[in-house]
Amino acid sequence: MADAAVVTDPLTDMVGKFIAFNKVLTTRTAIAQTPKELVWTLNKAKLYRYIPVVPKEQRHPTPLLLVFALMNRPYILDLRPGHSFVEFMVNSGYDLYLLDWGVPGPEDKNLKFDDYTLDYMPRAIRKMKSIAGVEEFSMLGWCIGAILTTIYAALRPDDGLRNLILLTAPLDFSNKDAITFARWTDERYFDVDKVLATFGNMPGEMIDYGAKALKPVENYIVNYLKLWDNIDNPQVTEAWQAMNTWVTDNVPLAGGVFRQLIVDLYRNDLLMRGEWMIRGERVDLSNITANLLTVIAEGDHITPPCQSQAILSKVGSADKELFSVPGGHIGIMAGSGANKRTWPLIDGWLGRRSK
Amino acid sequence: MGDEQATNGKPPDPMEAFRGLRDSYLDAWAKAMVETVNTDAYAQSTGIVLDTYLSASSPFRAAVEKAMLHVLEQLSMPSRADFVGLAERATNIEMRLDDMDAKLDRIEILLTKPEANKRKANPAVKNRKQNKGAK
Repeated sequence: MADAAVVTDPLTDMVGKFIAFNKVLTTRTAIAQTPKELVWTLNKAKLYRYIPVVPKEQRHPTPLLLVFALMNRPYILDLRPGHSFVEFMVNSGYDLYLLDWGVPGPEDKNLKFDDYTLDYMPRAIRKMKSIAGVEEFSMLGWCIGAILTTIYAALRPDDGLRNLILLTAPLDFSNKDAITFARWTDERYFDVDKVLATFGNMPGEMIDYGAKALKPVENYIVNYLKLWDNIDNPQVTEAWQAMNTWVTDNVPLAGGVFRQLIVDLYRNDLLMRGEWMIRGERVDLSNITANLLTVIAEGDHITPPCQSQAILSKVGSADKELFSVPGGHIGIMAGSGANKRTWPLIDGWLGRRSK
Repeated sequence: MGDEQATNGKPPDPMEAFRGLRDSYLDAWAKAMVETVNTDAYAQSTGIVLDTYLSASSPFRAAVEKAMLHVLEQLSMPSRADFVGLAERATNIEMRLDDMDAKLDRIEILLTKPEANKRKANPAVKNRKQNKGAK
């Protein structure tokens, strides 16, 4: 009898695993738990301020604004309690703000980088400075967010930007062989106008497919096998479910931005060539004088490291550094090792420059 | 081997060898696929698939939109274009409000901290001072 209690029926075991597997796949986990308040809105964009937990006199006086990509939810920065960059930075004494771009609707299909950087960002930054009661601020841009912050820093160098952090920034599109997206969106194969004439905005599902198809076996097979193999390990399943909640929460990209991204950047590399015009103003990278930190992910297949390196030689900043971190495009900030590698690295660099 | 398992207290897992083999195979496949998707041939084939889908769905999409527009008109209901126009107007109003908020902030600063505002309002004074310092 005692032996019978220990030995599990393989069929029951398999059914139990399958039920648990299905539950993880089909349910969403609670994410973005760090307390915050909404302080500004414009159209779909929202500016949040995270409630400080460190007394004011011990806080860094320079506020930090987080700017994430346009086609993904920004809560990857605040994925789950105990594993959140936002929580880490708030606990480290930063006055932290997050610009959430929201979900563009059909009415936003003509929005361009011009609108985001010259209409939305200056207004959000003004509000942040007004609330913080300071003139100087820091900004962290990740992925497309890094393009936005770079444009802003180049076009508005006197607006008080003191520190600029670029994470996995796709800025240099000259090495087409190394950039798979550049190959796929080549004008011989991809008709951007036809896509946008059909959909208006670039559907989130298509962007998601593009990102996953860069590593199809990992994303469509290995990822799920890892979950199956570790279905009895709550630590692994919790992390997997949180990441899956984020990955499956797709956001479309405004049509105007998508066209600029493909035509101006992927095809013509206008930013690095110094020929990109944003609402009649040339984006001159030498105008950037803020302290600059560029973080690249060594295993990044979405933004290969070669896309983020050249900016250092183009900017006018006297204080500039490049950190290379092991990991992938998302993994360096949201992976299991991020709290030991990337986050302390950013805190260390920024803390010294936020006094 | 048996002793080791006894010490660990875990029953032998017959699937372990299979998993190792599976992972090696998947690893090799993954590397091959990464190389495959980064080729002109793959780009061309996905381009053709997408183009075919867009060309095929376009007439149906246009027909549905036209029919829907007609139905909405008959029912005296606003169309998508009407909502888009309204949303654009709402965003413009939001921007005007935001501009007014900025102006009110400036007025507030002017009233509460006139000295600080004078310096801020006239950056030329600041620049001249900086230039003198540089000389």
